[in-house]
Amino acid sequence: MLPYLTKAVSNLFHKPSTEQFPAGDPPKAAEGYRGRLSYDPEKCVNCGMCIRVCAPQCMERTIEKLENGDQKITFTFDMTSCTFCSMCADFCARHAITLTDDYMIVGTKPEDFLVTGSFVKKAPPPKPKLTPEQIAEMKAKAEAAKKAKAEAAAKAAAAAADNG
Amino acid sequence: MFEKLIDNSMAKSPWIFHINAGSCNGCDIELVSVLTPRYDAERLGFKLTGTPRQADIVVVSGPITVQTRDRLVRTLAQVPEPRVVVSLGSCPRSGNVFKGSYAIDGPLEKYTHVDVSVGGCTPKPEAIMAALVQAAQILEEKRKEMRK
Repeated sequence: MLPYLTKAVSNLFHKPSTEQFPAGDPPKAAEGYRGRLSYDPEKCVNCGMCIRVCAPQCMERTIEKLENGDQKITFTFDMTSCTFCSMCADFCARHAITLTDDYMIVGTKPEDFLVTGSFVKKAPPPKPKLTPEQIAEMKAKAEAAKKAKAEAAAKAAAAAADNG
Repeated sequence: MFEKLIDNSMAKSPWIFHINAGSCNGCDIELVSVLTPRYDAERLGFKLTGTPRQADIVVVSGPITVQTRDRLVRTLAQVPEPRVVVSLGSCPRSGNVFKGSYAIDGPLEKYTHVDVSVGGCTPKPEAIMAALVQAAQILEEKRKEMRK
């Protein structure tokens, strides 16, 4: 009886064990918590691996062609479609996708749940135009090199046969 | 005469009704943990009620399966106005991993207005709590508009 009584009395002077959350800041999530996704378009190389491994297909990629031949690539991640499995972050070779510890994914509009980022993929520089003479010259050079190589190989084989 | 008193009292006791529309039970467990002593939503007046006719806030979890679709619509129709619909977790908004399944007939927006959504799979109890508080505010505004 006495232990219960002491506990009852001491509880009168303790703070309640209920979390006071709506009053005050929300508590920090545990270490390694997988919350809202963060996407860094500067690191992304548009390999599309995240789209392949995403089970609920929560990401959308739009490729927009710009006038100078570049491509504007936009990734949109829908946080109301995500399972927070972290597969995309694990498979991202450039570590462009990470999962933060922000778990407060509450909103009234669909836009509140979207994580977007876009970057411009530069087109490769145009190839230099060659004249037919230049091409013929390069071909002749390549053939000569091939011949020299074959001769050297034959010589080496003959030398090996002599020794053997 | 007592209208103001009733409104003030009702704002302090928004009762919630929970519909499981094919959920995996993850979100349902988290919603129950919101009502346990650690988070204790009842100190803010939220009470889980057993009948839709007494509810102010409807919490829907799960992708809407074909089996639960008609029951969901029927239950939502029984909730008196003003009502606030909260979609819990990723499933009601998008179908989540069940997206494209023949057994799913979502999203929830097809059947009713959705006022507050919580993302996450499953959401943390704090996030659910924040959504419920927001839903209570929306409910208060809706009731004020109805009185006009």
